[in-house]
Amino acid sequence: MLFPTLTFGLFFLVVFTAAWAARDNEWRKIILLLASWVFYGAWDGRFVALLIGSAVLNWGTAALIARTDPEALGRRKALLTWGVIANLAILGFFKYYGFFLEQLGDLLRAGGVERDLPLMQVILPVGVSFFTFQGISYVVDVYKGRVPPAGLLDITLLMSFFPHLVAGPIVRAADLVPQFQARPRLERGMVAMALCLIVWGLFKKAVIASELATGFVDPVFNDPGAHGAADLIVAAYGYAVQIYCDFSAYSDMAIGLAALLGYRFPRNFDQPYRSASLQEFWRRWHISLSSWLRDYLYIDALGGNRGGVAYICRNLAITMLLGGLWHGAKWTFVIWGGLHGLVLGAERLWREYRPQGWPGLPRWLTILFTFHIVVLGWIFFRAPTFADAAAYLAGFGRGWGALTATPLALVLIAFGLAMHFAPPRLMPAIALQLRRLPAAAAGLAVGVAILIIDAMRFEGVAPFIYYQF
Amino acid sequence: MARRDEEFPVDLPGHTVLGGHPLRWASGAIATATLFLAATNAVAIDGWAAELEPTPAVARLNAATAWWRAATDRVGLGAPRAALHTEWKKAEAAHLPGQAAAEE
Repeated sequence: MLFPTLTFGLFFLVVFTAAWAARDNEWRKIILLLASWVFYGAWDGRFVALLIGSAVLNWGTAALIARTDPEALGRRKALLTWGVIANLAILGFFKYYGFFLEQLGDLLRAGGVERDLPLMQVILPVGVSFFTFQGISYVVDVYKGRVPPAGLLDITLLMSFFPHLVAGPIVRAADLVPQFQARPRLERGMVAMALCLIVWGLFKKAVIASELATGFVDPVFNDPGAHGAADLIVAAYGYAVQIYCDFSAYSDMAIGLAALLGYRFPRNFDQPYRSASLQEFWRRWHISLSSWLRDYLYIDALGGNRGGVAYICRNLAITMLLGGLWHGAKWTFVIWGGLHGLVLGAERLWREYRPQGWPGLPRWLTILFTFHIVVLGWIFFRAPTFADAAAYLAGFGRGWGALTATPLALVLIAFGLAMHFAPPRLMPAIALQLRRLPAAAAGLAVGVAILIIDAMRFEGVAPFIYYQF
Repeated sequence: MARRDEEFPVDLPGHTVLGGHPLRWASGAIATATLFLAATNAVAIDGWAAELEPTPAVARLNAATAWWRAATDRVGLGAPRAALHTEWKKAEAAHLPGQAAAEE
């Protein structure tokens, strides 16, 4: 069930009505939980059991940790380790089983050993990376005393809540569980902003991302050998716009849908391509993942900035390599993460050892440089294999060639980049105006905007890029 | 680990209390948008119904959505969307001058 479809629209109307009709908060949460399972079951009903099992696992582990004597450090740590390993085992089995077995097979063959390995086709449950990370953060937060243990219903709803379930944002217990404690209250500004985010997300996904993907980016990435450097460069920029518009659209709609049900989700994107360093980029791109990796992997597991510069660079590299692998079991993701880790380390070294008195580069130049590092990374991220990425990059030296991008694709790419330099408070300013209107006028404005988007949208809706993660 | 308020994008600056019940306002806005789209975008509803797995119930739904589409088209409610869609298709089909020559 994809957000920008009529099926989801009807589903949401029913959920909105039922949730707000429930006077009792516990019944309200049960309604939302059942709705979330229906939403998830629309992909594959079997994995609803996995979702429930994962929630029970994390609830149980956290409850045991909270019940254990704080002095019994060994037992508490053992429970934490069990919780983290169990979550990683779920993720590892569904996401990396085939990949690691393939690598093992290659390694054995290289060593002259031929073995029949127990290969099997494992179906990847949608959103498994998101809800397992959510589960890990909850168990760690309870262990560290950052959040109190929550009830089974709250944790199951936290992990299953349909707006964020399949592609984030990764909403932590500290953010959402306190909101579950009482029946939420709507505020007119919150509703206006939610409607703006949903319409804006719909535009970014259904018009910009879909049009660019189908009309230009996919054909170039699918056959880079048939295109000259002009196409390859413009398609790389095009993919940068496409993935931003695709993923941030999902986040915007998720935040808007949750807000219409009365819940606040944290920001997940903040004009990432206006970043003047890769460190800044990661404060603006997929913020819920980057802050998760920072808090639970970089700081909690690896020690953060406690050591010297070499130690920090090592931690950055490990964090980004694992961050890359989180996206999928492919070497291209590892290289993408490695590139980011390398440049983050280089930025750190530059800050530490930059000769005194050297003038700083103008901000526009650092933005341009950072953007191109990000685009280079996207080529590996998008390419199906390392060989495809290498062929793509080799094409830059093949000669300019003819540009096959249509004027519309060029306009959409320019627009997608320009939106990063719009005033950051533009959307709230529009929402402030919308909330002053009577309900019928506001509804009419939203209806007209959706009608225009629907007239422009590409036929059919491709799944969001981040569904595969 | 509590987050700052500004990290929740749906919290607008200022807390101007406006008249009217917020839930009633939200429901009114959503209902208006839904009715407006049902009237002006019947082609999307018909297209959606046509893609459902065929069953006797879906056949009845298809007949109803086709009737609704024809009815809204008869009174011109579908015209703005159709006109905009035609213009968009023209924009999609447009090529740079050199590209047209290359394709020929």
